[in-house]
Amino acid sequence: MNIIGPDYLVFGVDDIAACTEYLTAFGLKAVDVSDKGGLFEALDGTGIIVRRKDDPGLPAPLPTATMLRQQVYGVRDASDIAAIEAELGKDRKVHRLADGSIETTDDLGFALKFQVTKRRKLEMPAEKINAPGAPAQRKPNELGVWQDMPAKPRTLSHTVLFVPDLDRIAKFYCERLGFVITDVLKGSGPFLRPKACDDHHALFFIGTPEYMKGIEHLAFHMGGPTEFMLAGSRLVKAGYESFWGPGRHIFGSNWFWYFNSPLGTHFEYDADMDKHDGNWVAREAPAGPETAQVFLFQHRDKWFPSG
Amino acid sequence: MELCQLSDLQDGEARGFCVPGFLHKVIVVRRHGQAFAYLDACPHYTGGTPMAWKKDAYLNGEGTHLACHSHGALFDIETGRCVLGPCLGQSLQDVPVHVTKHGGIEIAALASSEEEA
Repeated sequence: MNIIGPDYLVFGVDDIAACTEYLTAFGLKAVDVSDKGGLFEALDGTGIIVRRKDDPGLPAPLPTATMLRQQVYGVRDASDIAAIEAELGKDRKVHRLADGSIETTDDLGFALKFQVTKRRKLEMPAEKINAPGAPAQRKPNELGVWQDMPAKPRTLSHTVLFVPDLDRIAKFYCERLGFVITDVLKGSGPFLRPKACDDHHALFFIGTPEYMKGIEHLAFHMGGPTEFMLAGSRLVKAGYESFWGPGRHIFGSNWFWYFNSPLGTHFEYDADMDKHDGNWVAREAPAGPETAQVFLFQHRDKWFPSG
Repeated sequence: MELCQLSDLQDGEARGFCVPGFLHKVIVVRRHGQAFAYLDACPHYTGGTPMAWKKDAYLNGEGTHLACHSHGALFDIETGRCVLGPCLGQSLQDVPVHVTKHGGIEIAALASSEEEA
């Protein structure tokens, strides 16, 4: 089962216009978006699909405040779809669509879809830095930053869910779908990566009461810390509401900056996440401010100490 | 202290104000001609977190409830009570306001500020 990661997250919302404004400001590109919603994509074509909450084409809503209606995972090829269909078909209904994708639900009722990934291969450089003692990454006269430098989300990175039964959900994703636990924040929950993804996490669970079940946040990868800081600063300057960050997490090492959204979940910019392989041994730490970040800043308006 | 005129707000409109002495913004929302005010601090997390998704965007899309745009919690506009979401059963902290004879929305008692901690 070569699951690569989330292709799309699908939401049922009560204000398409507000979501369109927000997702565009976040840096996603509207594709075939109308007053009924549509796709907002990152540079590689992964992204967010919004529909009206009463759209009959959406899976049923959870009985909580969450607007998340489906997680769409991309897999390598049709044989992976067949393997997932055979495995999950043992104990639940798996619906095959005309395009070869399949829909079902996980053990806690979150709607899932698996498709041959629609992401496009990205060929872009990472942020280049110069440091004494190492070869310069930027050529002479090549600038590191400028005010209107592009800073667009490159790909949908990960999803974080509030779940009422951590053991059950982790067992489902690991034993039935081949995910691997990379680290555990005790008191919150485990970080997971699917088999065909080397990112530290594509999925993270936080244990909560049943009435909170839903999505806590989603994240997009940026090209490096500078693009990440630029994108977040631009959102703040435009009047959007920062929730947490900018800072840098410990587990995953990714830079983080979370924002509120009209989709009832946080949107995170992240950058420079760790990569792992099968040799990695999962760590454990108690969840809390000291284990959640190596440092944390808060945005401040530009100023200048003249004279 | 006067925050704005009642007539500055459409019925069903909310606005956030920075008020000296308050760590959080104060949300004022007009409903059925009355003004209601709460701290911009969702009770889901200790200390409260800001609720708008953009400056002054405090209501859900349908305009029926105050909403926290962290996780979609909905609050009754007239009581501040959470009716759906992670802080179900908890309430926004009410900020006493009254409308003056000149139509201004005034914070009734700054002394009742929660914000001294």
